[in-house]
Parts: sequence; C-alpha cells; structure tokens
Amino acid sequence: MKVVLENLTKIFPSRDKKSGKEVVAVNDFTFEIPDGQLVGLLGPSGCGKSTTLYMISGLQKPSSGKIYFGDDDVTELSTENRGIGLVFQNYALYPHMTVQQNILFPLQNLGGKDKLSKQEMLDRAYEAARLVQIDELMDRKPSELSGGQQQRVAIARALVKMPRVLLLDEPLSNLDARLRLQTREEIRRIQKETGITTIFVTHDQEEAMSISDVIVVMKLGVVQQIGKPQDVYDDPKNLFVATFLGTPPINVLEGKVEGGKVYIGDEAVMNVNGVEDQNVYIGIRPEGIEPAADGVLTCKLNNVEVMGRDASVVSSHENSVNPVVRAIISSDIKVDTTAEAVKFNIKPHKFFLFNKDTEERVYFEVK
Amino acid sequence: MVDSKQQWKAWLYLSPAIILLLVFTVWPIFNTLRMAFLNGYGNMAAMGGATFDLGIQNFLKVIEYDKFIDCLKTTAILCVATVPISTTLALLIAVALNSIKPLQKTLQTIFFLPYVTNSIAIGMVFATMFNIVGYNPVERAADTWGIINNVIQFFGGEAISWINQGSTYTANIAVMIVYIVWNALPFKILILLGGLQSINKQYYDAAKVDGTPKARVLTRITIPLLSPMLAYVIITGFIGGFKEYSSIVGIFGEKMGPPDDAGRLNTMVGFVYDALEKDRQGLASAGALILFVIILIVTLFNNKVIKKHVHY
Amino acid sequence: MSTKTTVMQERDVKKRTLVQNIVKALGKTGTYAFLLIMALIILFPFYWMIISSLKTLPEYRQAIPTFWPREIMWSNYAKAFEEANLGNLFMNTLYVGLVSTIISLVITVLSAFAFARLEFKGKETLFGALLATMMIPGELFTITNYITVNQLGWMHTFTALIVPFLVSVFYIYLLRQNFMQIPNELYLAAKVDGTSDIKYLWKVMIPLALPTLISITILKMMGAWNSYIWPKLVANDAAHQMITNGLRNAFTDTSGQANYPVQMAAVAIVSAPLFLVFLCLRKYIMQGVSRSGIKG
Repeated sequence: MKVVLENLTKIFPSRDKKSGKEVVAVNDFTFEIPDGQLVGLLGPSGCGKSTTLYMISGLQKPSSGKIYFGDDDVTELSTENRGIGLVFQNYALYPHMTVQQNILFPLQNLGGKDKLSKQEMLDRAYEAARLVQIDELMDRKPSELSGGQQQRVAIARALVKMPRVLLLDEPLSNLDARLRLQTREEIRRIQKETGITTIFVTHDQEEAMSISDVIVVMKLGVVQQIGKPQDVYDDPKNLFVATFLGTPPINVLEGKVEGGKVYIGDEAVMNVNGVEDQNVYIGIRPEGIEPAADGVLTCKLNNVEVMGRDASVVSSHENSVNPVVRAIISSDIKVDTTAEAVKFNIKPHKFFLFNKDTEERVYFEVK
Repeated sequence: MVDSKQQWKAWLYLSPAIILLLVFTVWPIFNTLRMAFLNGYGNMAAMGGATFDLGIQNFLKVIEYDKFIDCLKTTAILCVATVPISTTLALLIAVALNSIKPLQKTLQTIFFLPYVTNSIAIGMVFATMFNIVGYNPVERAADTWGIINNVIQFFGGEAISWINQGSTYTANIAVMIVYIVWNALPFKILILLGGLQSINKQYYDAAKVDGTPKARVLTRITIPLLSPMLAYVIITGFIGGFKEYSSIVGIFGEKMGPPDDAGRLNTMVGFVYDALEKDRQGLASAGALILFVIILIVTLFNNKVIKKHVHY
Repeated sequence: MSTKTTVMQERDVKKRTLVQNIVKALGKTGTYAFLLIMALIILFPFYWMIISSLKTLPEYRQAIPTFWPREIMWSNYAKAFEEANLGNLFMNTLYVGLVSTIISLVITVLSAFAFARLEFKGKETLFGALLATMMIPGELFTITNYITVNQLGWMHTFTALIVPFLVSVFYIYLLRQNFMQIPNELYLAAKVDGTSDIKYLWKVMIPLALPTLISITILKMMGAWNSYIWPKLVANDAAHQMITNGLRNAFTDTSGQANYPVQMAAVAIVSAPLFLVFLCLRKYIMQGVSRSGIKG
C-alpha cells in the first residue's frame, strides 16, 4: 500500500492565549511513500515528525491537506477505519491482560463478515507472536517482560490484524543501547518479511540511517530532504541536514569563496570554478580529511584517539564552528602526536559549501 | 544534646493530641469492650453501686431481640441495593463526563452538589416529594399525591403511599434507596472521574486504532484499569451503608418509620443509639461490636472478591 | 502477510466516512442527553425545595402541582426563620464550628509537625497506632464518650460538642504527608539561622501547606453544620441545639398537616451557606473530599 501525503499541514492553536500565536507543527508536507518501504521520519524534537505520524494514523486531524492510502482518500476517515497498526512510544500494552490477550484484542474487535473463529484468532495471534519471537511468553503480563519484549508484543499486536500500513512512534527510545541495536535489526527483518509499508519516527539519525529505505529529515514542521539514507548523507541539501546526519558530526568551518577558490582563513583549500564570491559555511565529513605533509588545511593538533580499527585526529581551528575539527582515519596511519600542528588534505566529495545567509547548499563541480 | 531536646519538644507538641486521644479514642476502645462483656451493664446503675457479672449475655440479648434482626435486615437490604446501583450509575456518569469537553466543568459541579448538603435537610425535601398531603376523609382521597406520584400518574401508573400511613415496607425501602443513591453519587463520581483522568490516554488511542467498540472499551479496558478506584468506592459504600442512620431520620424523622409503624426502618446504628439513651450501655456496646465485626467481615470479603478482579 | 488483502480496501471509503461521522454524532448526542437527564434528576430536589418554599399552603396542596409559584411568598422565609428559631441555631452552630476548627487546627499542625520533622523514640510505633484507630467505626467510641461526657458534667454544654472531636487522626496524617513534601533543608537552614520552631512553622510550613489547611477547615465546618447524632445525644436543649437537630425537631410532623412551604423555606435557609461556601471554594472541597472520602 502506498501512502501519499499532499500539502499536509497541522496548525495547533496557541497554548498561551495572550500572544495568540499559532504553532505550525507540520507545514505543507507532500510526499509519496512507495508500497512496501520502510520510511524513517527523522528530526530533532518539535520538528513535527510525531504529528505527521499521528495524522497518518488518524488520531490527529490535519488542518489542511490530504492523505491517501493507495487511491483512497482517508483524510476524513477515522483511525479504526484506516486499517493501520500503530506501535506507541511506551507501547501502551494493556497492563491487565496477558501477552496473548493483548495480541488477540484487535482481532476480537472484528465483527460482521470479518469475524474470526476462536481458533482462527489464536492461529493468527501465534503467527504474529512467532514473527516477533515471543511465542513462549504468551501467558505473561506486560509487567513481567523486559522493555525489548514489550516492544515485540506491541509490534505483534499491531501486526496481527494485517494492517495496510504500520506506524512506529520512536520505537527504540525506551530501550537500552544494546537492545536498541538488536531491535532495530529485528524491525528491519519483520518489515522485509511482511512487506507492509512501514513508517517510523525517530530523533536518532543513526537509527534512521541504518534501517530505512527512505528517510525524511524534518525541522520545525518543514521537510528538509527526502531520499535514500546514503544519498542524503552524501548530498545534503542544506547545512541543517548535513549537521544532523552522521556520527561523529560533520566539521563545519567558516570561510569564503573568492575567485573560484574556497578560503578558510588564509588558506585556499579547494578550487571551485564558477562559484560566485560569497561567504560560506564549509562542511567536511570526518572521513573526508586525512593528515598529509602537503595538506591544504592547517589545524592545531589536540590529540589522537585510537579506537581499534579507526583513529580520530582531534584538532582545532579558529574558524571552526564546532569546538574541534575531527578526522576519522585508519589506525594504521601514524600521526606525530608531539607536533603542534597538523595539515589535512580534503576529499572533494566529502566537502560541501553552504551559503552563509541562507544555509543552502552551494553546488560546484569537482575537477 | 540536640537529640534529647528534640524528644522533649516532640512530646510537648504531641501532648494535646495524645491526651485527647487517650480520653476519647483509646479509653473508649477498652471501655466499650468491657461494657459489652458485663451482663446487663448500665452506667446509671453502675454509678448507683450495682455490679455486673462477666459474660456474653449482652450479645445473646442483642441477637435474640427480634427488633435487632429487623435492623440488620433493613441495613443489609439498603446496602445490597444501593451500592451496586450507585456504583454503576456513578461509573456511567464519570465515563460520560470524561468523554466530553464543553460543559464538563459545569456538569461536574452539578453532580457534586448533593455532597454539600445536609442529609437531614435534603431528606426532608425528598420526604415532601414522596409525601401525600392532606388526606381528605370525606372523598377518601388525597389533595396532593406528591410530585413523584404525579409523575407516575402522568405515565399511566398508579399512585401509592410511599412514606405515609399505610405504606408498605417495600415502598419505604424504595424511597430510601432513591435517596441514598442520590446522596452517594457525588463522592463516587468524584473518585471515579479522578481515576479515569489518571489513566494513560494512549490505551484509548491503541483501542481506537484497533477499532474497539465503545462498550468493549468500557468493559475490557476502562473497568479493569479503574478497578482499584472501583474497589475503593465499593468498600467505602458498604461501610457507609452499614452505618446508615441519618438519611432515614431525614425522611422519616426520629420515629424511623411511617407514622403507623415507628421503628420499622430502624438500622443497626439506630439500635445502638436507642440502647445507649436508655442507659443500656452494655447492650449498645455489644451491638456496636457486632456492627464492627460485620463491617470487618464484609470488608475482608469484598477485599478477597476484589483481589481476584483488580488486575494490577 | 503482505499478500493477504485487508478487508477495508474494497469498501467504498466515502460511504464509510459518512457512516462513521453519523455514528460519532449520535454517540455525542447520546452522551450529552444521558448527562443532562442525570443532571436534571440530581437538580430536581433543589428546584422542588425552592419552588415549594415560595408557594402558599393552598397552592402547595393542589392536586395538580404547579411548577412555578403563582404568588411568591417571601414571607415563608421569615416565618421559617422565626418558627425554627434559625437565628439561634445558626449562632450555636457557627460558634461550635469556629471554636472546634481553630483549636483543632492548632493541635493538628503541632502534631503533624512533630511527626514530620522531629526525631523521637517510638515515633513510627505511635504513628502506626494512631492510624490503626482509623479503622474502628465511630459508633464504638460514641458509647463510652457519652458516659465520659456525662461524668465530666458536660451534658448540655458546648464543651461536650467541641472537645471529643478536636483530634482527627486523619487530618494529622494528611497534614504530615503535606509537611513531609517540604524539603528538610529548609528546616535545617532555619535552625542555622536561629529561627524558632514556631516561627518556622508560621513562616514556612503553614503557607506551603495552606491548601490542605483550608480543606481541613472547610471539612470541619461542614462537619459541624451536618452533625446530628452526637448533638442529639449530649446537647439537644434549646440553648445549645445545633442547626440540623433544630431543623429536624422543629418539623417532626411527616403525617400531613404541617406547613410544608415553611418547612422547605427552613431547609433552603439551612442549605444555602453550604452551597455558597461550595461555589466559592469548589477546588478545596473537591480536593479534600477526594483525599479523605468522609462526609464532614
């Protein structure tokens, strides 16, 4: 089932009555989610990603715009008629029911010609439970389960009625770090096995990047960029997207373009023929710079952190927006840690320019 | 140093409360027990120098006394009838109130109004609503049948005597049930609404996503999640019911019954006070202890039943 | 799972939207109808009390009742006031209520402070014992207290109405919980500055616990206003009669010939102060009640 959002907008009335300012949670969001994809809505808190999810679920009504499931306009359709499965951030498992009762619950609501026999319900419940590998916990109460197990039960409950679209609200935020890694792989596997169009919300870019087919980066209610995770990472449209994606974060330095050359301080670091003279922010991915004797960018060396396979060269530069300039290199490369300064070479495809005023990307041709 | 000063200070601050509690709370516990087990104890007689044997005669007398069984019966009927009715109604009202936005505060205030009333005073209002005024012996008919009878007649029913001369026990009890339920609603609604508002809204969102019908949401989600509050309301309802007294005085006056059958609706608490005023404190103590034990048993029983159904 | 189609798909979405909206509207209407009918039932006795209190006796006795008095008889109120001696009853009740509330507050605050802030031997045991007494029904105490009051020679005095109920374990408990929420550092800081306990109580704890104290005050006053059994036992004479007893005694006749409009006027007068207090202090009353679960 493809999901289409058309000029979707959500405006909340102001909480503060005096100022009367409305809050635009989601602004003019248009996007088509192809059938069977896993889509991550990504952004810092307050960016409107959860609101978008709740509008797709039908629990919140859009102020304007349309939502289509396939060719059906479901904008006015209430939640229960949309055929969605929703996994809540804190799972919302019914505390007084066992795992089995929780999973059966959605099926028992079906009436009329959709009504299932007891045996059919049980079969479907076990099928869903097996899918998320909790079929041995069916008689437990939610309070007797770990966070990860509760998460699986919540997914099973959402899947058991075979939804057209599966929605997950911050599915990993209540899990500890180790479980998080494991569960996100699990979500990926379940989504691939079922082929259900799945949309999830997260503020953790690593989470979104690692499992999504497509990510949508949002900020203050406005969509910044949509695309495959690697494409967005390699080709950010603006400074926000560039800084939001990637760990460790991208190095950002202030500089200017003059006569087809990019300057950081006095050093010309890159030829960018054809780009107009302007003040810019320069974004360089940590894996995009490496120490070299004939390097173009000189930084003050702070220290080198070796972490097994990789090493991180931590330095600083007076034009840097961040406190440090960081380079990730192979730990085989030896760096003289006693030196005062370090010189870096820059890989052009890891090097982005953004206009200093608009923070929009300034494209140039790599020679 | 500081420690002993604190000790001294603490007891100083506590002394008024402790002295009063010793006299009016602790001593009564022992004394009431003592009086209950002194056969035929009466305080006036005791002050006159009479002595009493230790025994259980008071308890036997209470149980043998046929009026006591009537009191027990009336009390039990009122309890068993009013607690389920008022709890169910309160639950429905609380759920309905919780589901609306406009008018919620206003309606909540209205539903709380019966709480801030004097149960004797409003009992008198209920009495007038059920009362037949000015029986006319010539035409063998009443001038006024009372508003409740008027309503019954309007819907084609037949007027009956609710609380007047010649009224039946059933009719009397019916009036008491209506009044007690009316009176019991506010507290129950307040507690249940408070409980509802503390239930995580996401359970309802989850149910909505699954297309759960309203009735099923009520029985499968709301009631189980509300069960601690329901248990509280039911237990306090039973305790209050067993101590019913002043609402009956409100409607029937101190005669505790229709004019031609005083004492018909007497309750256990009424029985205790009657005995007390007649200087039969031994009997009163025995009655109060029996009441205490009944309340204890009912509470424990309720607790046990409720434990099975309170889920978390 | 993906290959199985969901049932919703084939259905006409528009039709579903319409049906769903109708069902929703009906549900809302039903909810409001139910609530409004229940509200009317709850309010009806109050309405009946007021219109009855304003009718003439002949109008009241008409076979077909009127729902608004044809002639408004304010004089019923004056009559009720006089007949039931309400002025006197008001003063008695107010006196008992105020005196017992004030003394009770002082005792409660001191005890709650000791339990919340001071360290002394046997604190937990004593507090537990106090809480245990809450489980015993009041009737058990009444019997002995009746004898005690008699032997102290307090029969037919205000003292008998006030003293036995000055200490409420529940209020001590309530206030202690409230005091405990106030960080202990404030107390220690006050000690360092050389502030006396009483001054600290007055300047810090009482202002912070004010909502609880107001709740206690209101419940205590309501208790005095609604008390019936105990005053009936120990002080049912004209000079000391409380309002509820006076009201009940003034209109004992339920058999038919009484002047009902006057009686209803008296009931309305007695009910009015409670209503006024309620409307002004709704929040405190509802808060207090939901925590205490006791009437008055």
